[in-house]
Amino acid sequence: MSIVSFLLAMAGFVLLGLATDTHHRRRFGYSLQGRRCTMLRMGGWLALVASVAPAILARGWIFGPILWVGAIMAGAGVAFLTLNLLPMRGTLP
Amino acid sequence: MSKGFRQSQAFLHTWSGLLLGWILFLVFVAGTIAFWREGLNRWMRPEIARVEQPMRVLAGSQAFLASKAPDAKSWIIPVATERSTGAQVFWVPQPKPGEERGRRGRRGRSDTQALIGADGQVAQPRETRGGEFFYRFHFDLHYMPVIWARWLVGFATMMMLVAIVSGIVTHKKIFKDFFTLRRAKGQRSWLDGHNATAALALPFHLMITYTGLVTLMALLMPWAVVANYTDERTVFATLFPTASVVERTGRPAPLIDLRLIAAHAERRLGAPASFIEVSDPGDAAARVSVSQSASSMLSSRTPRLTYDGVTGRLVWQSPPPGAAAETAGAMIGLHAGRFAGNGGRWLYFLCGIAGTLMIASGLVLWTVKRRERLTDPARPHFGFRFVERLNVAVIGGFPLGIACFFWANRLLPATLRGRADWEIHALFIAWAAAALTAFVVRPARVWPSLFAATGWLLVALPAYDIVATDHGMFTSLAIGDLMIGGIGATIVVFGIGFILLARRVARYQPNPKRVRKAAAAATSATMLEVAE
Repeated sequence: MSIVSFLLAMAGFVLLGLATDTHHRRRFGYSLQGRRCTMLRMGGWLALVASVAPAILARGWIFGPILWVGAIMAGAGVAFLTLNLLPMRGTLP
Repeated sequence: MSKGFRQSQAFLHTWSGLLLGWILFLVFVAGTIAFWREGLNRWMRPEIARVEQPMRVLAGSQAFLASKAPDAKSWIIPVATERSTGAQVFWVPQPKPGEERGRRGRRGRSDTQALIGADGQVAQPRETRGGEFFYRFHFDLHYMPVIWARWLVGFATMMMLVAIVSGIVTHKKIFKDFFTLRRAKGQRSWLDGHNATAALALPFHLMITYTGLVTLMALLMPWAVVANYTDERTVFATLFPTASVVERTGRPAPLIDLRLIAAHAERRLGAPASFIEVSDPGDAAARVSVSQSASSMLSSRTPRLTYDGVTGRLVWQSPPPGAAAETAGAMIGLHAGRFAGNGGRWLYFLCGIAGTLMIASGLVLWTVKRRERLTDPARPHFGFRFVERLNVAVIGGFPLGIACFFWANRLLPATLRGRADWEIHALFIAWAAAALTAFVVRPARVWPSLFAATGWLLVALPAYDIVATDHGMFTSLAIGDLMIGGIGATIVVFGIGFILLARRVARYQPNPKRVRKAAAAATSATMLEVAE
């Protein structure tokens, strides 16, 4: 369950990262448009909110929130490193 | 927010961060390593077998104490776990008439303590402070009175809190630019790295700094206690209640098997026990108190049970703590992360590394930012040179000292008098040498050599274990001792990290005759990337 929380947090941050123009252009090669941006942001926030539930289910109300904060930090870290350091497919940064 | 406000915050952030940044760096490094305190205790005493049956150690402890100190005032027996080196038992002798009772500070005496190993026998491993060194250094520093060190660390922590809060205001873009890392762009890259390590682990930084203050609060702000209690003993009695003391009868009576009491207490508490204290062993008035382990709950103030030492009847249990004590206990528990399993510990460790990198990059950023504004880059003013070289001395020198500490642990002869102290002296001698070099040789050369030396020393360490001893990394992994094998592997990873960092820093000075400014800027720009 804690893994699920981490994966949701990571997915959330990857989506939020892709909702910034720089990363969107780097990954998809074109600028971010209004509707797509909203979708990515919404998706990101939903995933982050959803990541609370498995953490609470896994460790209860005392340790659950701590686990969740940990999952958020770990997810953000992995998303940050992935977005910035993962090489592109054939395109230049 | 007005511009004036943000500027004042920027000023506050720069100076609160810089002036105590070097101490904070040390505190963060030591604290981060101390999350693996128990593991390091074992890793630095490789001749000790892993504890597989904690109850066997407990029985051995009781047998040892019964023969060694049958009429002691009290025995203190830590309950061994699979993570610990065994049980470091100690006893308090009966006070002689006229001697002050219950004096503290005796715990360090070596003639009233012993280590009981996995087989229940007294073990005599090499003398070392192990991971405890990092734990104590984290708030007591070294070579100075503990109380000064705690004031200094407490003040630095306060400044850290100021630096974090003012930093959030100053680097207002940390959330907007959350995902940005511009590489090889000089000052920009440093700032991105500083912001990333800050923002990604921001909850941790706030938590660890605030709860760190709570652990020192009784020292820093004693007034609430002074105003409400006249006697120090009443404060302790309120905070840490114990069963009422029974007078020694003088009638001998055999002590019950402590394993039975431990088993009963663990069933009743629903959690593992951590400490067993026996008062007046061998007397009809013997009492046995069992404390619950902090690994099972958030609060570090754990419940206790007291038993009659002869009949094994439960005579007392600690009342539920008050709300304030519970809160303080929970915060200290959160700070030390003792509740955390291995996964949680890794997270604490990684967040600690992020904090260390944040402080280091902040310190270097101070010079990077000012280098571009220097009127004469060839001859910077004194303050600039001082900060630049102190950065090398602390950020480059302290890790080298730690590497030498680990080597001293492996190489110093077991018979050396004061061996444990010499391990620590080795750390400070190496660090002092590094600091001296930093102030004599120019930074562009010292940075890479210190990092490279640290890296190679760290990489060579597990290699030495594999070649020269019979408890190398692969042996540990083969017998399923992930903790010891994992520490070896982590040291190798750090070593490689330092070597890469050194390469990266050195590569940007191919020609020493080139403009130093450009070279140094490029150097600093790349350093962080690798660190990321």
